[in-house]
Amino acid sequence: MAQEAHGALHDLLAVRGVSRRDFLKYCGSVAAAIGLSETMAPQVAAALEGAPKLLPALWINGGSCTGCTESIAQVDSPDVATIVLDYLSFEYFETIMAAAGTWAEENITKRVAEGGYIVIYEGSVMTGQDGNTLFVGGGPNNEGAKKGIDILKEVASNAVAVIAVGSCAVDGGWVMAHPNPAKATGVAAFLQKEGITTPVVSMPTCPVNPEWVVAMVVQLLLVADRDPAKFLELTQWVKYTYHDGVTDQDVTLTLPKGIYGQSIHDNCPRRGHFENGEFVTELGSKEEAMGYCLYKVGCKGPQTYTQCPVTRWNRSASWCVNSGAPCIGCGGLNWVDNNAPFLKRLSDIQFDGFLGMGNTQPGHIGAAVGGAVAVGLVAHGLGMKAAGRIGDGPPMEEMKAYDRKRMAKKGGDK
Amino acid sequence: MSTHAYYREAHPLIFVITHWINLVCMVMLAFSGFYIHYPFFDGFMGVARGMHFVAMYVVIINLTFRIIAAFFVKSANKMGTREVDLDIKNWLPQEENKHQFWETVKYYLFLRKEGVISGKYGSLQKISYLATIPLTYLQAYTGFCIYAPAMDLGFFKGGLELVGGPMNMRIIHYFIMWVFIVFTMVHAYLANIYNFAPSKIIFLWKETEAKGH
Repeated sequence: MAQEAHGALHDLLAVRGVSRRDFLKYCGSVAAAIGLSETMAPQVAAALEGAPKLLPALWINGGSCTGCTESIAQVDSPDVATIVLDYLSFEYFETIMAAAGTWAEENITKRVAEGGYIVIYEGSVMTGQDGNTLFVGGGPNNEGAKKGIDILKEVASNAVAVIAVGSCAVDGGWVMAHPNPAKATGVAAFLQKEGITTPVVSMPTCPVNPEWVVAMVVQLLLVADRDPAKFLELTQWVKYTYHDGVTDQDVTLTLPKGIYGQSIHDNCPRRGHFENGEFVTELGSKEEAMGYCLYKVGCKGPQTYTQCPVTRWNRSASWCVNSGAPCIGCGGLNWVDNNAPFLKRLSDIQFDGFLGMGNTQPGHIGAAVGGAVAVGLVAHGLGMKAAGRIGDGPPMEEMKAYDRKRMAKKGGDK
Repeated sequence: MSTHAYYREAHPLIFVITHWINLVCMVMLAFSGFYIHYPFFDGFMGVARGMHFVAMYVVIINLTFRIIAAFFVKSANKMGTREVDLDIKNWLPQEENKHQFWETVKYYLFLRKEGVISGKYGSLQKISYLATIPLTYLQAYTGFCIYAPAMDLGFFKGGLELVGGPMNMRIIHYFIMWVFIVFTMVHAYLANIYNFAPSKIIFLWKETEAKGH
């Protein structure tokens, strides 16, 4: 089947100078990302090529930096991922679509009415200021404008699945970092609060890795035949439950296990140096060039669960740790508050001006408390000496103070 | 002015041994823990992690054994006596500790001159000793939560989700260690402030006779 599948995608690839071999290799890495054997590459290719019709998709931009779009689009040098995603028929994609104005908005309304599409949502859901953000359309006084959160509700309600790409879409990402004035939250939390039950697949990291998105799309096409129930049942997931303060919901996130199942630390090419105790102390040093471990300069690999060391980035050219930068933990939940400052081992405790304290490192708090106790004990010891208690101890009371007081009345304890 | 005697009945040999194990393991745990927190010299990470895990298992087994033994072994029921009672009774508040909590606080704040009557241990002492038990288990729990082979198990995963992920758990683990360090500082100070007879009995099992009675 894979051999005979040609058609539109084949022509598209040929035009862009992507050979059949490149395409199959790419399908192999996608297969690996969804937990299939690489020998499944032809089937993956077939799923992409032979899909009876293009899978319609709406790419919605929420509150974000558009970095995930950048990551996927890479407009100046289109690679296989770009082409495949082109092929997925984005009917709405603010950043790159040709349509504008009413026509563009009609693409949404029409598609939602027809159904059978997926939503890829990038960016946080900004619920602050009554959701008066991310407007589309509207007259001179904003009449008739659609709020960003209403667009999300509209597109999510009838979608086959929502893929929340990038940490912002997962739980609010850096937009929801303390103090979160935009009241940003994630897609899963928001939809749960709105009672919309469309399955949400969360794909953190900042930005998202395009190959992982393709892997999930292929999973939906190939393994699950576009059936969301089958998709959820047949894919291996890892679940994280957290309490979202913005929506006041206990949310369970669903992440593909093949991608988010193991820590960066466990697959890290620098891991051997960690075990040996060979560390980079200063960025730009020769230890960094020698591939020593970045633990001491704040690498968050041990508590970040993504497949970065395996898939890598930018067409598998490299990734953060490979290029000598510590992992900043962008694949975790609430990742900025949990990982900043990025070059320190532990995150700061945020006191918000309580007792005049700002952001403080736990190590400083520990040392300050330990030091204060040491000084206190020395002072106390001097007091004990002055009171003449050292050596033989104090004179002992003959009777408890309580008993002395109660003596006259009831006789106390004794 | 007088000091009471320190007899072997105060700390039967088995508890001298468990105390030694605690001390050695806690020093190893704190040292390797600080190293894992921030490796302050090279070449020790593998050893530090191994040391941390081994000492943790030993300390937990030792503590559990110590608690069980308290129900079977007898120890001195007051300071300076050879009169024994079941150890657990001497751990928990005794008749002599009643109504003495604030008096003990006042004594250490120099608000009263005379020492306070107490059971085998004073009120503050008993509270802090008892508090180290759940704290030690809690510390092991937080440690397992950030230990890759254990963290996916439901019992630990639930805790991780409760505190908002492994980074917060790591910080809690780190702060609890400081509680142990502060406890040890205060404990060593108060135990030996009058003289070193308490150390002689708990470390060397050497008795000291009473003075001035």
